[in-house]
Amino acid sequence: MHHVELRDVNKRFGTFDAIKHLSLGIEKGQFCALLGPSGCGKSTLLRMIAGLEEVTSGDIFINGENVTDTPPAKRKIAMVFQSYALYPHMTVKQNIGFSLSIAHAPKEFAEKRIAEVAKMLQLEQLLDRKPAQLSGGQRQRVAIGRSLVREPEVFLFDEPLSNLDAMLRVQMRLELAKLHKDLDSTMIYVTHDQVEAMTLADKIVVLDSGEISQVGTPLELYNNPANRFVASFIGSPGMNFLPVTASSMDGLNATLGLNGGTGIIVQTKTPLGKSIPTDGLEMGLRPEHIHVTSPDDGSANLKGNVAIVEQLGNSTILYVDTDAGQFVVEEDGAIGTKSGDNVGLVLDRKNIHVFGAGGLTI
Amino acid sequence: MSATLSTTNDLGLAMAAQRQRRIKTFDLVGLFATIATVIAAILWAFPLYWGVVTSLKPEAEVVRAGVQLLPAHWPLDSYTYALFDTKIGVWYINSLTTSLATTLIVVIMSAGAGYAISQLNFPGRRILWWMILASFMVPIQALIVNHFILFSQFHLINTLTAVVGPQLLAPVTVIIYKQFFDSVPKDFREAAVVDGAHEFQLLFRIYLPMNWGITTALAIITFIGAWNNFLWPFLAVTEEDKMNITVGITQVSDAFGVKYARDLATAILAGLPVAVVYLIFQRRVTQAIMLSAGIKG
Repeated sequence: MHHVELRDVNKRFGTFDAIKHLSLGIEKGQFCALLGPSGCGKSTLLRMIAGLEEVTSGDIFINGENVTDTPPAKRKIAMVFQSYALYPHMTVKQNIGFSLSIAHAPKEFAEKRIAEVAKMLQLEQLLDRKPAQLSGGQRQRVAIGRSLVREPEVFLFDEPLSNLDAMLRVQMRLELAKLHKDLDSTMIYVTHDQVEAMTLADKIVVLDSGEISQVGTPLELYNNPANRFVASFIGSPGMNFLPVTASSMDGLNATLGLNGGTGIIVQTKTPLGKSIPTDGLEMGLRPEHIHVTSPDDGSANLKGNVAIVEQLGNSTILYVDTDAGQFVVEEDGAIGTKSGDNVGLVLDRKNIHVFGAGGLTI
Repeated sequence: MSATLSTTNDLGLAMAAQRQRRIKTFDLVGLFATIATVIAAILWAFPLYWGVVTSLKPEAEVVRAGVQLLPAHWPLDSYTYALFDTKIGVWYINSLTTSLATTLIVVIMSAGAGYAISQLNFPGRRILWWMILASFMVPIQALIVNHFILFSQFHLINTLTAVVGPQLLAPVTVIIYKQFFDSVPKDFREAAVVDGAHEFQLLFRIYLPMNWGITTALAIITFIGAWNNFLWPFLAVTEEDKMNITVGITQVSDAFGVKYARDLATAILAGLPVAVVYLIFQRRVTQAIMLSAGIKG
């Protein structure tokens, strides 16, 4: 039995379908990230699980119980908002203990629980401060504390790190990962940042226009994207996409032809030419799966000219113009290639993805 | 020697330049504006000054021909009369009771109505909102006959309830609250809903405490308005024991003619608490006036 389950869930705003007949299961203790670009419906989906958004059709189950029409407070969930939503007139202590206070929890119990949470999140010194007197990271911890104090079955996070600066975001990411490890609770985390999703989640649900594009572990999504959308969304720098022609098709083997390049034999998942048309094919290859060599090297699949060089220290990003189009290449930080150099590109054929005209991986 | 001369010359030049700069920066428009403002302030304050001075004079001096800017004697008779020979104490208590009741009920009702219209979804919400906006455009004087008939039919004339009742119609405060609640990010509401708060807890523990400034400002301005209200309390109450201070001072008359000092002394005593309230909460009152001016604009 799934800990959180969505069955054929649909959400319509007027004539616009924000979520289209979506089904999903999340296991107990899993850290599930809902990932997608702005407007894909990930926050709407989270709000539906929280009970803040009505479900147009379908059912939501938490711990086996149908909670579709249950008010948010009775769903045994807690939510951390993007804006933290800390009440500005209350101290940290009052913010953390708010849910206990409105539930008229005994004072001793509330005090004990607040102290436990404050200790866990290292907020003991800040309990008497107001939110305005806290830094971004401290506010974030208080927001998490407010959800922890309720001991919920499921934690919901709506882009909780997006208001933090880059360094603090990395720090808070680690703290969240530690919290998940310590609590072993089910967490559903909405983000548009694929790095956050990849580093935190056990399971990533990629959403596109209200539909699930792919569900899988971070590495499954990275190495075996189900379609062009997932392939383009996961990974930074993004995957290279280039139009190709297919020839010499033999079962799962096909030779892909690039403009101005040598033929590359790749293995597809589905035989080309029979049920899959060969028109509008695209090849996808991640920047780290392309290697720079001398233009005279016989193993080079393509020749090109380096347009831009970005040195990041541990790696160097090269933008190489070829007859087939521009390639983004990730090379070692110590590579001496300069802008304007003529280079040869060796494509790692084992890591080439082929996408059909509809965008699906072939 | 020549060095000393040159230094003296330099100093003279510098002083001349400074004088020139001063003349250049002399703000003629500013000077006229200041003079005009001072004249306006004197014109505004003079009646107040004249009222206070008159209330301190003996009646004989008040009616004497000519302008007497300060009393020749300071007998304070008119004040002792107003304080000890009238029912001013009862009128004060009546004013305080009705003004506090009006303020409390108006604030609670307006906050509740503003919250409901701003945050809740219920049938007729839009119509209700338009009705409140429309009622804002109807002057209270236009309704006063209806109010009188209504309270008369309920046999409430000559009661403090009658004084308070019509003053509870305060669309401006509802509008101000609604606008404030509209501006509160919805995350606060949703976080509290997830935590299990119901609507009353949301209003009284989240929305109102989030900005007590608005409530304080509205309470002060409502209190001052209720204290100063004359027309309706004058119509609703005819018994001296039920009168507010504003109505009560009309009773300080004498069978042998008008007593200006006495009347002014009572009027000053009537206005004094509001003046004190205003002086203490000046900033809040200004804030409230600006809030309501924003609505009207």
